[in-house]
Order: sequence, then structure tokens, then C-alpha cells
Amino acid sequence: MKIRSGRDFWAGTMFIAIGVWFAVVAQYYPMGSAVRMGPAYFPTILGGLLALLGVAITIRAFFSKLENPLKMFAFRPLYFVGSVVIGAGTYFADAWFKDMLMVEYGLVGLSLCLFFAAFGGRSLFLILLACLFFGYALKPLGLILAIVILIVISALGGHDFRYKEVTILTVVLAVFSVYGFVKGLGLPFNVWPGE
Amino acid sequence: MDFSLIHNLAIGFGTAMSLQNLFYCFMGVLLGTLIGVLPGIGPLATIAMLLPVTFSLPPVSALIMLAGIYYGAQYGGSTTSILVNLPGEAASVITCIDGYQMARQGRAGPALAISAMGSFFAGCVATVIIALFAPPLAEVALKFGPAEYFALMVLGLVGATVLAHGSLIKAIAMTILGLLLGLVGTDVNSGMARYTFGLSELSDGIGFVIVAMGIFGLAEIISNLEQGESASEVFVNKVTGLMPTWKDLKSSSGAILRGTAIGSALGILPGGGALLSSFAAYTLEKKIGDPSGFGKGEIRGVAAPESANNAGAQTSFIPLLTLGIPSNPVMALMIGAMMIQGIAPGPQVMTERPQLFWGMIVSMWIGNLMLVILNLPMIGMWVKLLTVPYRILYPAILLFCAVGVYSLSNQPFDVMLMALFGLFGWVWRKMECEPAPMILGFILGPLMEENLRRAMLLSRGDPSVFATKPICAVLLGISIVLLLITLAPAVRKTREEAFVEE
Repeated sequence: MKIRSGRDFWAGTMFIAIGVWFAVVAQYYPMGSAVRMGPAYFPTILGGLLALLGVAITIRAFFSKLENPLKMFAFRPLYFVGSVVIGAGTYFADAWFKDMLMVEYGLVGLSLCLFFAAFGGRSLFLILLACLFFGYALKPLGLILAIVILIVISALGGHDFRYKEVTILTVVLAVFSVYGFVKGLGLPFNVWPGE
Repeated sequence: MDFSLIHNLAIGFGTAMSLQNLFYCFMGVLLGTLIGVLPGIGPLATIAMLLPVTFSLPPVSALIMLAGIYYGAQYGGSTTSILVNLPGEAASVITCIDGYQMARQGRAGPALAISAMGSFFAGCVATVIIALFAPPLAEVALKFGPAEYFALMVLGLVGATVLAHGSLIKAIAMTILGLLLGLVGTDVNSGMARYTFGLSELSDGIGFVIVAMGIFGLAEIISNLEQGESASEVFVNKVTGLMPTWKDLKSSSGAILRGTAIGSALGILPGGGALLSSFAAYTLEKKIGDPSGFGKGEIRGVAAPESANNAGAQTSFIPLLTLGIPSNPVMALMIGAMMIQGIAPGPQVMTERPQLFWGMIVSMWIGNLMLVILNLPMIGMWVKLLTVPYRILYPAILLFCAVGVYSLSNQPFDVMLMALFGLFGWVWRKMECEPAPMILGFILGPLMEENLRRAMLLSRGDPSVFATKPICAVLLGISIVLLLITLAPAVRKTREEAFVEE
């Protein structure tokens, strides 16, 4: 047997995993009865259904008329495993970090970055990273520095990086954001660090 | 037809003609045209981005503006299709085929003029259709109980999967995935937190805007970057005479009428809307009359899909306004916007808030008028926008997405979640899993569970209630028939062919 459609194979596997996960986690909630459905009732049915469909899609991958490769993108298993280990470790050892919150946040961030990088695309990684940094930089560093971070990292995710253009774009967007979002719409952002 | 329609329209005009609402209508169609012209950003991402901005507006103004963005984008999208062979918006893909050929023959002006006229005509007709058909439909919907609502949502979801691109089974799986994701957060009945990992940020559920921005906004940018910038010949300087000839007008008038009819009908269907309408209209035009000119600059190939997508964009508001059920992802966002404003979407909107309902409908007609004025004489200005390279555009789009999501609740967590959904959206694209049915499932998930619970409680746990209530049985019957028809080999083949041109 040969897998003919990589897309179907991975999609099916993903649906099975997600369906099973939703159905299994639901068992921790009260099931109730058909008359009075508990919080577990609906997700159990849906999770089971999703897993079944996943099985059908996986089977279809072996008979598909369309052929496409099993390797859809440059997946990096090592990064993925690293991300899961660090992420899960931090999650379960939550209580242990109570005096070192910064360390915990750092580990969660590292786990996320590894997760983003695991899927291989350069543009993908940099765009997601730009969003992540922007979100967490906005409060401590202020709007303007957060914009600089977002624009520079996301511009690096493109094809050609032109210093002059990026500089002008950053300045224009920073000025526009300060006047538009903070002054105009009244969004409660810091403009500069530590305000 | 009685006096109540005139009375209702009078209420609508009274609301829509206020200076403030005219302004927001104008802003909506202006923004809609802008994003329609710019490739790489669609109405969905724009509405998602602007949702937080509309928090502070009165509900009528907010909805008028958001609706304007959607149908405005249909106008703008045709401009880029014709001039650059680059659809600014998914529904304009089909216009590229003949519109671009016309531009190459130096007839860009007439193509643009016909597409604007067709769109305006379709917009007017669709507005009348909404005004005529929405009230009786809402009256029927008021009699619906939880079982009927559940069945209606099933039909809506089935419709969305049947009309999605590509594999049917994957579309169904994506819908269920959406339903499951919609359940994350606190369960309304028991107060229990489900699937939250103990994170307080998730106790209210995953924000709809976050999911939509991640899957449609971010994933779109990433895919565009991976494809690289494509170089198309731009026929910017060749837009000379706008006036179409007599022959153009004569041959396209029939196409406009047919396109409007198809678009209006398909827009109402669950899962329908602008995209499907334009495809169907083009296929029909090819079947009727002489097909030889198609692909070589046939004006009917521009007139029909452009009228159809505009009509479809507008009539897709009917299920939203009367039943409270979204027929496509943009309508799902509109529901989100209504909920944020404290309005429960459903048949009661029309009776309890006539200003909102009729004001929105009349604003659509006014908006269409504004669009003709915005588009035809000012075409040169929009064309100049096309010279802005994508490498400048996308960091700005990214910034707006990030700011929009952050401002939902001022939490970095939401931005992180958006990035995560951006990743998911990108992976789903690679797997050819259509995200549109998922987003409908996501919106309907909690509603479906709620109605299922109520229906079962009322029937004392007897599931046969879904088969014995007549309306309910009919709705579920249609869903099953739809699914079976789609699985039939003949339909399956044409369905695959219909979407292959994209």
C-alpha cells in the first residue's frame, strides 16, 4: 500500500487527533442524559464524528486519484518535539515557577517560537513572530517601539528588504497609529516605554 | 404589496438619510472599494479589523458601514480584474477571464462602465428583493421552536459544505471542527469551563474576530509572500473612453438581467453569496447564445458575473436579517458585530428595531449610488493605488490586524492566539481544507448546542421530535437530499469543474 495523497493523509490524521482529543477531554465533564444534556454530551458526539471522518479521509489517501507528495512542507520534527516538551513541562510545573514568573514566560515564549518554526516556512515563521512580539511588547515598550518591531520583522519575511522603504513605512505607520488609534479612537495604548 | 412596505421604506429613508449614517455609509463603500482594489486583502479581513472600531458607534451606523464594505468590495474587485488580471477579491476571479482580454484590446473603459452599470442595476433589484421577501420570511421564523432552529442550522451548515470548494468530506470535517472550537469556554447551562486548559483568557471562549483574522488575514499574507510577487501588465494608461457602444449595451443588457436573477437567488442560499453567484452566472452566459467570444473579451462575460456577485452579496443579508443565521463567513462576522452591539440576531430584529432593519436596507441602495459615483469618474485614482507594491502593503495590513485584535480586550494573549490561528489557517490551506465552513460552524456551535438541548428537554429526550415536526422534518430532509445529490457522480463532476478555473 502506498499513500497517494499526502494532503488527505495528513488532513485525516489531524482530524482523528483533534476529534479524539475533544472526545477524551469531554469525559472529565458530566455527561448528563438525553433530556438534560451535560457539558460533555455535544462535544463527545462531535468529537467522535470528527474522528470517524478523519479515518475515512485517511483511508481515501490510499486510493485518491490526485497524487501529491507526503511531504507538504519542510516540517522539522525536532523543533516540534522540543516545543511540545518545553510547553507541556512548563504547563504542568506551573506551581513550581511561582517566584520566577519571567522564567516561565520565557519558556512559554520559547515553546511557541519553536512551534512556529517547526512548520518550516521562513515567511510563516517571521510573520507569526512579528505578531507575537508586537502583542507582548505593546504594554512594556509602548506603541512606537512595538510598531518598529512588527514592521522590521515582518518586512524580513518578504522577498527583498529595502532599508529606505522600511524606515519610511515605519515612520509613517507610527505617526498614523499614534494620531489615529491613540488620539483619534482613544485606544488605551502607551506611546512610549514606561508611561 | 400594501402600505406597510411604503411606511417601512419611509422609516428606512428617515434613518439612512441622517447625516451621520450617510457619512458611515460613504466610509463603508469607500473602504470597500479600496480593499476591493487592493489585492491580498478581502472584505472579511477588513470587517474583522474594523469590528473593534465600531464598538463606540450606534448599532445602525456600525452595521451600515460594515455592510458597505462588503458590497463595496464587489465593485472595487472588478477594477483590478479588468485592468491587471488580478482579482482584488475572490468573487471577481471570473471577471478576469474576459475583462482582462477587453483591456488588452483597448476596451478597458467600456468593460469598467458595463461592470459598474450592471452592479448598480443588480444592487437596486437586490435591495427591492430584500424589502419584499424579508418580512414574510421573518414572520415564518417567529414561529420556529428550538427543534426547527436546530434543523435550520444543520441546513445552513450542509449548504456551506456543499458549496465549498474541493473535497466534500473535508468540508464536513472542517465544519465539525468549527463547531467544536466554538464550544471552547464556559458552558452556558452548567457554568463549567470547557477546553480552557485552566486559562482565564479562554473562559469567554475564543474570540470570533481572532479566529477570522488569523485564518483569513494572516494566512493570506503568508501565502501571498510564499507565492512571490507576480508581474502582470497593467493597462493603466489605456483607460480612455468610458462610454460603451450601442452594441455593447445591447448585448450586455440581457446578461445583466440574467446575472442579477441568478445572483439574487443564489445569495439567499446557505453557503451562497457573491463568489458562487459570479461563477454560476458566467457558466450560464456561456451556455446561452454564442459561446465563441468567451475568453477573448466578450462583454457578456463581464456584465453577467459582475451583476451576479453584487446581487448575491446583498441578498445574502436576507437569512441573516430574518433568521439570524449567517450564510457565509462575512455574514458570520456581521452577526458578531450585532452581538457586540447587544442585538440578538433573529426575526425579532425587524419588529423590535425597525429603524435598524429598514435603515440598513435603504442604506444599501444609497451605498450603491455612491459606488457608481466613486468608481466611474474616479477610476484613475483607484488605478494609481495598484502601483503600491505588496511589500509595503502587507506590514501595514499586519499592523492593523494586530492592533484590531489587541484592542478587543487589551491582552497580548489574543494576539498570540491570532498568530496560532494564522499557523492553522496556513496548514489547512496546504491540506486543501477549506476554512469557510469551519468559521460558520464556529459561530453556530454554541447556538446549535443550546437549541439541541432545549429541543430535547421539551420532547423529554425523544429524538423523534426532529422527524415528526413538519417544518423540522422538511429542513432536515432538504439537508440530506443536498448531501446525497452532491455525492452523486454527475453532480460531483460538474462541481469539481465549476471551481477548477480558480
